[in-house]
Formats: sequence, C-alpha cells, structure tokens
Amino acid sequence: MKKYHLVRRPVQSIRRLLVYYLIGIVISLGIGALLLASLGINPFEYYGRMLTIGMVGNKYAYKNIEGFLKVLVPLLITSLALGLSFKMRFWNIGGEGEFLIGAISAAIVAFNVTGLPRPVTILLMCVAAMLSSGLMGMAVAFFKVKFNTNETLVTLMLNYIMLYVITYLGKTKEDWNFFLDPKSARPIFGKFPETAIMDGIKIGNFNLLWSVVIAAALVALIYVYLKYTKHGYEIAVIGDSASTAKYAGMKVGRIIMRTMFISSALIGLAAGLTASASGTISETITNNVGWTGVVVAWLGKLSTPAIAITSVLIAILQFGCKTAATKYPSIDSNFADLLQGIILFSVLTADFAATFTIKKKEDAKNA
Amino acid sequence: MRKLVSLVLTAAFAVSSCLSLAGCSSKPAETTAATTKAGETAQESKGTDAAPATGSIKVGAIYINSQNDTAGYTFAHHKGITEGMKQLGLDPSKDLYIVDNVPEDDEKVKQAIDQLAGDGCNIIFGISFGYINAMEEKAAEYPDIIFSHATGYKSNDKNFNNYFGRIYQARYLSGIAAGYKSLALKNDNIGYVSAWGVEYAETCSGINAFAMGARAVNPNAKIHVYEISTWGDQEKERQAAQVLIDTYKCCVIGQHCDSAQPQIVANEKGVFGCGYNSDMTKEAPKAHLTAAVWNWSAYYATAMKAAMTDKGSFMQSVGNYYQGLAAGLVDVSALSENCEPETAEAIKIAKDLMVSGKWDVFSGVKLFFSGKAGAVTAEQKNDALKTNKGEEKVAAGGASVGDDVIQGSMNYYVDGVTQVN
Repeated sequence: MKKYHLVRRPVQSIRRLLVYYLIGIVISLGIGALLLASLGINPFEYYGRMLTIGMVGNKYAYKNIEGFLKVLVPLLITSLALGLSFKMRFWNIGGEGEFLIGAISAAIVAFNVTGLPRPVTILLMCVAAMLSSGLMGMAVAFFKVKFNTNETLVTLMLNYIMLYVITYLGKTKEDWNFFLDPKSARPIFGKFPETAIMDGIKIGNFNLLWSVVIAAALVALIYVYLKYTKHGYEIAVIGDSASTAKYAGMKVGRIIMRTMFISSALIGLAAGLTASASGTISETITNNVGWTGVVVAWLGKLSTPAIAITSVLIAILQFGCKTAATKYPSIDSNFADLLQGIILFSVLTADFAATFTIKKKEDAKNA
Repeated sequence: MRKLVSLVLTAAFAVSSCLSLAGCSSKPAETTAATTKAGETAQESKGTDAAPATGSIKVGAIYINSQNDTAGYTFAHHKGITEGMKQLGLDPSKDLYIVDNVPEDDEKVKQAIDQLAGDGCNIIFGISFGYINAMEEKAAEYPDIIFSHATGYKSNDKNFNNYFGRIYQARYLSGIAAGYKSLALKNDNIGYVSAWGVEYAETCSGINAFAMGARAVNPNAKIHVYEISTWGDQEKERQAAQVLIDTYKCCVIGQHCDSAQPQIVANEKGVFGCGYNSDMTKEAPKAHLTAAVWNWSAYYATAMKAAMTDKGSFMQSVGNYYQGLAAGLVDVSALSENCEPETAEAIKIAKDLMVSGKWDVFSGVKLFFSGKAGAVTAEQKNDALKTNKGEEKVAAGGASVGDDVIQGSMNYYVDGVTQVN
C-alpha cells in the first residue's frame, strides 16, 4: 500500500493562491446559495445585499459605511498588531484581553477626566489604553523570556480574566462603580461625557471618524516600521531563528518584550478608539477582533498590505452577512454566522491547498 | 399547542416562500397560499380602517436572542409581533425587518437601528432592557420613526415610549394554583427558581405576587427562592430546582427564567410546578399546573395600529404602556389536569377582581380563599403589606403601591418569602 503525505510546495505562487481562493469562495457561496434557496430566499438577492453591505435601497446608505468602518477599524489595527508579534513567532492570542483592558482603562479616563477639550480627553484615553494593554502584553513577554512560560496559554487565560473583569464591572451595582449609569436602577454601563466621544470630519451627512484616519495612517506606519527600520529587521531575524539573532548580538529578550509592548499597545489603541467612538463600553465591545484578527493576520501572510486588504474583506463579510439577514424573517443572525463560517473555512482550506501538496511517500523519497 | 401552531405557521411560510420563488415572484405576496387567514383580515382591515396612503408600514425589531427560538423571551415577543401584524393585515414575511442576537451593547444596537431605519421601517421595537440608551439617542436622530422599548423607563413626548406588562397579576393567579396544590399535599414548602432576586423589580415583584397568591389559599405557605444570577442557563435552572426539591422539600416549583428545566425537574421528581412565558405542560405533563404567560400581540397590535393611523400622536394615543390582565397582555395558560379542583374557580374570582380594577395585588387588602370546589369564596381582609423583615409597606386597607414601585424600585420580599442562597 502506498502512503501519502503532505509536502510544502517548493514554489509559492501568488497566482495559484488567488486562483485557489477564488475556487474556495465560489464553492462556499455555492453551498450558501443552496441553503438559501432551500429556505426560499433568492441567493442572488441575498448576496447582492451582503456584498453591498446592505446599501442598495437603503434610505441612509451612508450610515452603513459608517457602521462598516466602525467594524473595520478595530479589526484592522488588531490584525496588524497581532501580525507584529506573530512575525516574531510569539503566539499572542490574547487580543481579546488586551483589547478589553484597554477599553476599561479608556473608560476610567472618560468617566473621571472632565473639563478638558475633546482632543485632549481622547488622547488621554488612548494613552491610558495603550499603556495598560502594552504593559499587560509586555508582562507576558517578560515571563516568556525570564521563565520560558508558554505565551499561548498565558495570553489565552488573560482573555477570560479580562472578560470576567468587564462583566463584573457591568453587573455590579455599587456606589464605587463609576462605570455604571447612576440613574438606572438596573446595572447598565453609563455613557461617556460628550468630551470623551469621538467626532469626525463631516462630508455632507457622512461622518468620517478620526479613528478611520488614524487606522489608515497606522497601516503606513507599521509597513515602514517592519520594512525599513532596524527594529523591523530584528523582528524578522528573531522570527526566522532566535539563535541566529542571539549570535548576531541582538538582545533577543529585550526585543521580544519591546515588540510585545508595541503589539499590545496597538490593540489598546484600537480599544481606546473603539470605546471613544461608541461613547461607552460593554462586554461585547471587542466584537471578537482578538480572535478574528488571528485569522486575518494569517490569511494576510503577516504582510502589512495583505493584512489591510484581508481585514477589509472580512469586515465586509461580517457586516454584510448581518445586514443581509435583516430583510428575511426566515433566517436569523445565526445563519449569517454559519455562512460566514463556511466562507472562511473554504478560504482557509484553499490557503492550505495552495501551500501544501499531497505526495506519495515513494516519490518523496526519490526526490 | 402554541409550539404546534408556530410550527405549522413556519412550515406554511416556508412552503409559501418556496412557491413564490418558483413562481419567479411574479405575483405579489397577497396571493400566497399560507396567509389565507392573514389575507382575510388584511382585506377586512383595508375595508374598515382608515389606513395611511399605502395601508401598510414596515416594522423593525431588535431581539436579544434568535428570532427562530421556539420558547422563551424572544420567542414570546416575536410571536406577539407577527400575530399583531397579521391582525392588522401586515405580512411579516414582507414588512418585518429583524436584527436578532443583538447584545446589550450601545454600538451594536445603534448599528441595528441604522440598518432598520435605512430599510425604511416606520416603527422599531427593542425588546431588551440594555437597548435603552441607544434607542433614546436614535429616537432623537430619527424623529420620523417611532421607537418602542420594552422593560425600560425612558421616553420622550414624540416618538419614543416604553412598554411592559403587569405580569405580577398573572403570577398571583399561578400562585393560587400552587397554593391549592400545597394544601392538598399538606406541604407548605413552595420553591421558586428565579433569575435574580431583589436586584430587579421585575423578578422580585413576580416572586412577591406568586407568594401572595399561594398564601391567599394556604396562609402557611413558605416560598423558597433560589437565585441563579442569570436570565437563562439550563444547567443552573436544573440544579436550582433540584436543590429546592431535595433540600427544601418543595412540592411546587415556580420559576422566572428562560427554559422549562425547572418544570422538567419537577416532573422527574414527581412534584408540581408553575411555568413562565409559555404553557409548559408539554414539557412537564405530570407536573405542570399553569404558567404565567405573555400575550404580547395585545400591545404590538395597539402600537402598530397607532403608527399606521396617526404617527404624530403616538405618545398621546399609546404613550408609555403598562397593561395587564384587563388588556389581555398577560394571563395564565390553560389549567392542566394536575390542578386541584378548586383552582379554576379561585383564579376566576381573583382575575375578575383585577380586570374590573376593584382590587390589586400589592395593596393593603388581601384575598383569602376557602370552600370546596363548586363553592369557592374569596374573603377580602384588610391586612398590611409587609416585607419579610416585618417592615410595613402599605397600611391595612391602603391602596396599591405605585406602578413605579412595581416596575422600578421594588426591592424587598413580602412576608412568607425567603431566599435560600
């Protein structure tokens, strides 16, 4: 009996990757179309609504762009930040926790600092968010460097710790709890004062939030940082081989801690911006970017421009699936999630198939 | 029975939408097969009502759970909205836009509202408490749309109201059924699995009313409350019921939580129970007595009709809505065979008193039921409303506490209630 095994393809071609992606997407959309048709929904109409993020026939189409951008910004920044640590082969899957501690810190500033002009308040919120997230990320890196702890486990557990911290804050009606709306008998997160809520550039009715501008600038910054600076080079070398880096005289521990600080601080920034744009916090403020960001970073092959494009596509998928489902009473948002899952799964399979190939054992030996 | 109806309806909708797909949707939806009944009412209402130009509105709904739920809170509201729409001749498959599984997160609620507004909805219902701030904000942003929020306390004078119901009245009635059962079993211990305790007026008023109903029949009844600290968690609901039955020897299990698990446990252990939200006799055939249920269509039909006829006067015609047995918004489900023979008569007496407005639960007058089946009488006695710590809330003979107390600030248990955890 011949045995088969997986071999990495010797040549990675972008064209093959794109063709495989396309095939994967077409297959998944086909499966989705069958499901939709079986529920009595015209798949073309549904997909049309999905891919245009529900803007067709919408009285306030610009609102959908605003909403879409609010989904995109945190995902984009978080994916880039995670990509930064992954590049170093530091498996930071604590995006959720880093996001949450950032959001909580931003909220502490928002609820307690009053009387300052809006840009100053928001700047303070972002700084608080970045520091808290950054320090948490750096602490994980410190334990990794010092005691060789498993960063995957530590960051994973921190996600749940932070989730329960924010849940506790949101459900505990006590006098000290300034996070809650004092006027409500039931515990509910309060609204930030006006000066802590982000505004934007008005283009007609459309409101382009400053966070979008900041996110766009960050893409360029991170690209330059990774590609053209000494830091970026150090990260790449450590990712290839920590021993090589050590041999080359790099202070590996310090670089890992520094990069984790930057990576987590960026996620904190995403959280600060999101909290400020929402005007409040909640247990679901992350919108799962800590998890989705991992997928985006990998689909983008840890390349900054590719991560940016991928996060736009994933955000369209997320936002579009939800809005498309609104119109049809026979399907709920669980169906939207299902469809999203099918598409993501196919793309990941396509990615796998484009990277690896199946070979017979004998062939491999001969080769 | 309700589930059966909804199943049949869903199936019918599926078939009809398939048909319309096959027919390339060349004909408008009024000819689809499934909506015969709705279609009839549609024609009737077109004839009688002075509806606005198009004769229809688009309805938006924001749900906390899935619209495809088959039991529980979202299910009850979804059923109310679709039934209300059919009563008014609206077609839920066409005129209803839903964003479901929306957490209590301002940003997500606002996005949902933007989407529904963009789709042209004229009235938007939000069914969960935590939607309150987002709805208030968006009501100011979209003055042409009516925003209607369940269980909240905020409103404005033009296009934003809140609505809820006197479910405590139905709880009192189910308490009567529990009281008779405990008398018959000669066991004064009654259990109650509750999402929350005195933290929320919604849960604690329900517990109190249930206790007062039970004690109107069996003055020695003791209500043991087990708080599970979440609106719904099937495992915790089970465990709570088990503790109440095994440790506190409860013979009837009342509940204020999402699933039918407490009733199912009662069924397994051979005791009895009173459900909530839907008739749980199906889940617990040998245990279930009767359930406090909502009939949300009573409100939804009223609100949507007002939105169809004169949007501008919505806050005058509907306003903040708080109705109970009299409006048919709340009730108890059909009494099961497990009920004691006196139950039906006693419930009828209490219900008539509340519907007529002559008496209400949280007042300084208490009912006491006596007499065998066929000759049940209710004696009204002046008796102060006291907390379980002996504090007097309403003097003997006094009028009922205010609606604001029942809805918002009630934070005590009445005499006879103890929380066990």
